[in-house]
Amino acid sequence: MYTLNICHLYPDLLNLYGDRGNIIALRKRAEWRGINVNVTNLSLGDQFTPEAYDIVFLGGGQDYEQEILQEDVLVRKGSFIREAIEQDKIFLCICGGYQLLGKYYKTWEGKQINYLGALNLWTTGGRKRMIGNTVYELDFLKSDSCDGKIVGFENHSGRTYLGPEVKPLGKVIKGYGNNGEDLSEGAMYKNVFCSYSHGSLLPKNPTFTDYLITLALKQKYSDFVSLFKLDDELENLAHDTIIKRVAGKY
Amino acid sequence: MNLRLIITIIVTKIVIKLCRLMHWGGTTLSGKIAIRLYPNIAKAVSKDFRVIMVTGTNGKTTTTRIIGQILAENGIPYITNKSGANLVYGVISTFIESVDIKGKSSKNTALIEIDEAAFKRMCDFIKPEILVVTNFFRDQLDRYGELYSTLKKVTGGIEKSPSTKLILNADDSLCASLGRGKTGNILYYGMEKKAYTGSNESVNSDAMFCYYCKTKYDYENHVYGHLGGFKCPNCGYSKPSTDITCTGIEELTSVYSKIAFSARARKIYKPINCMKKLDAEKRSYKGKNFVLSNSISDKTYHAKINLPGLYNIYNSLAAISLGNMLGLPVDKTIEALGNFECGFGRMETIVTNDKNIKLILVKNPTGFNQVIDYLLTEEKNIQLAFLINDKYADGTDISWLWDVDFEKLQHIQEKTDNIYTSGIRAEDMALRLKYAGIFTDKISVIRNYSDLIDKGLERTSPGHSFYILPTYTAMLDIRNVLRKKFGLKEFWK
Repeated sequence: MYTLNICHLYPDLLNLYGDRGNIIALRKRAEWRGINVNVTNLSLGDQFTPEAYDIVFLGGGQDYEQEILQEDVLVRKGSFIREAIEQDKIFLCICGGYQLLGKYYKTWEGKQINYLGALNLWTTGGRKRMIGNTVYELDFLKSDSCDGKIVGFENHSGRTYLGPEVKPLGKVIKGYGNNGEDLSEGAMYKNVFCSYSHGSLLPKNPTFTDYLITLALKQKYSDFVSLFKLDDELENLAHDTIIKRVAGKY
Repeated sequence: MNLRLIITIIVTKIVIKLCRLMHWGGTTLSGKIAIRLYPNIAKAVSKDFRVIMVTGTNGKTTTTRIIGQILAENGIPYITNKSGANLVYGVISTFIESVDIKGKSSKNTALIEIDEAAFKRMCDFIKPEILVVTNFFRDQLDRYGELYSTLKKVTGGIEKSPSTKLILNADDSLCASLGRGKTGNILYYGMEKKAYTGSNESVNSDAMFCYYCKTKYDYENHVYGHLGGFKCPNCGYSKPSTDITCTGIEELTSVYSKIAFSARARKIYKPINCMKKLDAEKRSYKGKNFVLSNSISDKTYHAKINLPGLYNIYNSLAAISLGNMLGLPVDKTIEALGNFECGFGRMETIVTNDKNIKLILVKNPTGFNQVIDYLLTEEKNIQLAFLINDKYADGTDISWLWDVDFEKLQHIQEKTDNIYTSGIRAEDMALRLKYAGIFTDKISVIRNYSDLIDKGLERTSPGHSFYILPTYTAMLDIRNVLRKKFGLKEFWK
């Protein structure tokens, strides 16, 4: 029997827009296939030992809460996070958690807050919040049975820009994406996946969820081949309804 | 004689009537027109009223209604705004509607529900004598930004209106912060540690860290969400001692609750000035009891609250505090709590052919969790429908559904053979239920509200209930359908 160990970093602080839906989706879709799932919550003061986990999740938080964890994440966990990323650990990071992996956040007033610098990307504060339903396309998900389209909801004022080593997660079809300028959405580097899509990113995009679970199990078990198919009628219905409504066609 | 004022009032009244006639229902337009015509209109029409305002994330409407019931039991005539008119212009329209063309009214108490994000602006126009605050939870963040900005808006309003007396929830660290460092007229209400020990810490709580120094709070007891006996181990900020305290919950059923509460003895600074308005009979009753009723003695009372749910105990405590601050007799307040009937969507019951349709508004995780806890107290089999819209008034982001503990519904799965989802985001809701462990064969998406009501009722046994839980705009829509089917009153009436 396979076991998937998920680490939820700062669930008490980075839990803004239903981000725990991603953990629920990973857990359920693995469990429905008879895979054992353990979720470990780590927060302030806890030691982060990356080798104990197969997938690490970081969600988004309010400015207030991000200030609280700033020191803990930089000083206590920073070097472990950077090292784990270089060693191909799978990370899923949303919004604030995504920004946190970058080099810095420069506020609208010009104040610079230094972040982890695990990925060559940076964020500047904007005056206008970018809010709404989004649709974007992930090339690596495309197959005969999947068009690679992802649906989500974004709500951020930070504009994120990527350095040359970091690739966008996807291409924006509807919405703002990273910065509202270059049609890029999210970031990819080694096995790190970052996105501005909140809350229900994984539940409504089961192909992406399964992609992450598969990646983790392949990395961990040499005999693992693939996941069997599930009945995704409701998932696809929720996914397609949004695409139809937001992108106007399907 | 101020001709401009008279004209403004007349024009505004006509516009309000027109909106009603056209079924627009809104009062924003009329309020805007009034301010355009007479910038000082709000002050002019509100100056003869003693204004009580109620704000906070959850429970504003119910708390306002309970206070209304308390005022009514005491024979105090008052004006009030209805749900949907709780923004600045709506409130101004309410006042204009309530006065005659000279700006006078026979009533001199105004009970106003005000949106927490609108309170600061409201204070530019009308400053309340008393402000009741229920709580602060995450709500519709895409509209208001973040929880702490909402709190700052209320703080900002209070700064503009320093003489306002406050009634605050001591169990909510955010709400209680409004009174920190202030002396003077503040009443705190809350739940004693021994009254409720049923809940554990939730990792998804809205405010786990000290508002002042960002250290994680220690809790003596958790009630729900971040409400409870909080204390910061670093800076010492802690739950203030309460004036109105729930000392015990004796019963918590799906229809009502019974509580014990204590009220700290206090002197009331002035008699309520509406006494003179009371009719002769009431005045003599009042006259006899005036001095006694004016200071509540330090003892324990028992009350039946004709509303279910833990959250309504807090709403009731807020209303009891208001009664206390006004110096109203406790027995009348207790009567009001027992006689209370729900209004617009905050648990409204329609009885048809011996079956109940129960409407309960849902709008954010904490409120929704409370409603689910309430559903768990229902002993009979139920039909259940979730109506989720994502229009502006609902909040365009529905990812908060993932912060609601629908997993708890697994416990009543055998009591319900069908869970319906509807509204614009019916599919998202259905998906959420699937991931909460509800069997997919029990989940049905039904778009059409009329079909939904028919289907749900058909499957409801006589004497049982069909629960409909809509978000705000879904509430308006389903209410329209129910109105046509069963002749419900229109909500602004």
